[in-house]
Amino acid sequence: MKNKRQLLFRVGAILIILAICAVMFVIGRGHTVYFDNKETSYNGQTIESFYKVTVTVGDQKPSKLSKGDRGMADIMGQKLTMTLEITDKEGDQPHAHKVSMSVPYNMDGIMINIPALMQGLPQDAYMSEFIIETPDTGSTDEEIVTDEFDMGGDM
Amino acid sequence: MNKNTNKKASPDLFNLVQRFSVPLMFILICAVCIPLSGLSANMLINEIVTRMGRNAFLILSLLIPIMAGMGLNFGMTLGAMAAEIALIFVSDWQIVGIPGMVLAAFISIPISVLLGIFCGKILNEAKGREMITSYIMSFFINGIYQLVVLYLMGSVIPIKHGSIKLPRGYGIRNTVSLLSMRQKLDNLLAIQIAGVKIPVLTFIIIALLCLFIVWFSKTKLGQDMRAVGQDMEVARDAGINVERTRIISIVMSTVLAGFGMIIYLQNMGNIATYSAHSQIGMFCIAALLVGGASVDRASIGNVFLGVILFHTMFIVAPKAGAAITGDSMIGEYFRVFVSYAVITLALVMYETNKRRAKSAAGQQLQAAQDAEEAAGKEKA
Repeated sequence: MKNKRQLLFRVGAILIILAICAVMFVIGRGHTVYFDNKETSYNGQTIESFYKVTVTVGDQKPSKLSKGDRGMADIMGQKLTMTLEITDKEGDQPHAHKVSMSVPYNMDGIMINIPALMQGLPQDAYMSEFIIETPDTGSTDEEIVTDEFDMGGDM
Repeated sequence: MNKNTNKKASPDLFNLVQRFSVPLMFILICAVCIPLSGLSANMLINEIVTRMGRNAFLILSLLIPIMAGMGLNFGMTLGAMAAEIALIFVSDWQIVGIPGMVLAAFISIPISVLLGIFCGKILNEAKGREMITSYIMSFFINGIYQLVVLYLMGSVIPIKHGSIKLPRGYGIRNTVSLLSMRQKLDNLLAIQIAGVKIPVLTFIIIALLCLFIVWFSKTKLGQDMRAVGQDMEVARDAGINVERTRIISIVMSTVLAGFGMIIYLQNMGNIATYSAHSQIGMFCIAALLVGGASVDRASIGNVFLGVILFHTMFIVAPKAGAAITGDSMIGEYFRVFVSYAVITLALVMYETNKRRAKSAAGQQLQAAQDAEEAAGKEKA
């Protein structure tokens, strides 16, 4: 009886730990979001870029994007909430929009075209994966440094 | 009466000075070096507080094996390696911030437990020589760690990101960035007092571990560990499973060292993949000894005193060295020399005290035998 109860507690503890890990996987997933204020086309339709867009994500520094500019922000979790302050043309009054969307789990880097997003087009028109290519440093390998007998560093 | 008291007090004072000779020496070194370094009080306190948050958890992980009489656990490096492996995975999966740290802590647990059981079993075969065995064991496991990280990760164990992998396509780079979780724990709930940043959440976690250690030492298992630490044979006669108790103490220390390493690395903001863990055991043990601990006796107070004194010396030594000799490297060498010297001194003092206690016990036994013989002769 005692053994059965002990086993139940152990299995319960493992299940709780696994559940916490699963939650951490979802809420802790980091993404880098790139914002483009660039002209784009969708189904033969050309979408013009804005004169100026200011993108604010959370408490991060706002990205001020002129025509053709790209900004970026890091987010955690599966939901992107940003405030867009758009100036359509030079001399116009800026208008603010709060936009929320869920982001795909499997994408590390996400590129969002703001003009396409503001046109209300489907997700594939304004969102794509941004893949960072690791620069080729020219060297074939990196020298591995192991110093198990050294205590010279700082702590 | 008064004369007697003085006679009694004098050896006590001598014993006290002898027992706290290392902390006293460090207080002296710091007292000389602080003014020479030219560092402002604000900067010095800031640095000490940062380092306390960074290192205290790791050093606290050494207390449980000392309680169980297994000496200074050089095998804490095993936990540090487990934490590094967990953090490499978490970095590759792009889990960031506090959730990344929590996930890394959970991933490190099974690895630490397995390594701890292995280490504990080996140490049970080397009773009385635990420290040197755990020290050599850390080199052995470091070899396996290098095999896993350098050859299996990326080839057998999937690693996705090129920024972590070596250019050849497998193996992990010398440095893995933890920018996405850098000081996330320290900055959450952090407060500024007179320009000094206090990482409140980190200190809360450290305080919880202190409370856990105090509570644990009063539990049945904690008492068993104390009994095993005092005398294994007596503990065995009292029905305590000595081997199991010793293994549990090492497992707990390894798991806690893993958590401590995660706290340490989130503060640093990167992992020195092949060297971060190798230094950690030495530094933590040196800090604990500087705090006045010995191989068979250590307390939470020793941990905090040790962190303050050892790290004050670490901060001021290069600047003081530069001020005295014009070369900051002298200060660097000095602090390394002192770190090793403290460990050596503590080990020598431990052996001397042990031998002295043994010889005192022998003399006592001899005196008892002599008295018994004399009494027998008188009777005859």
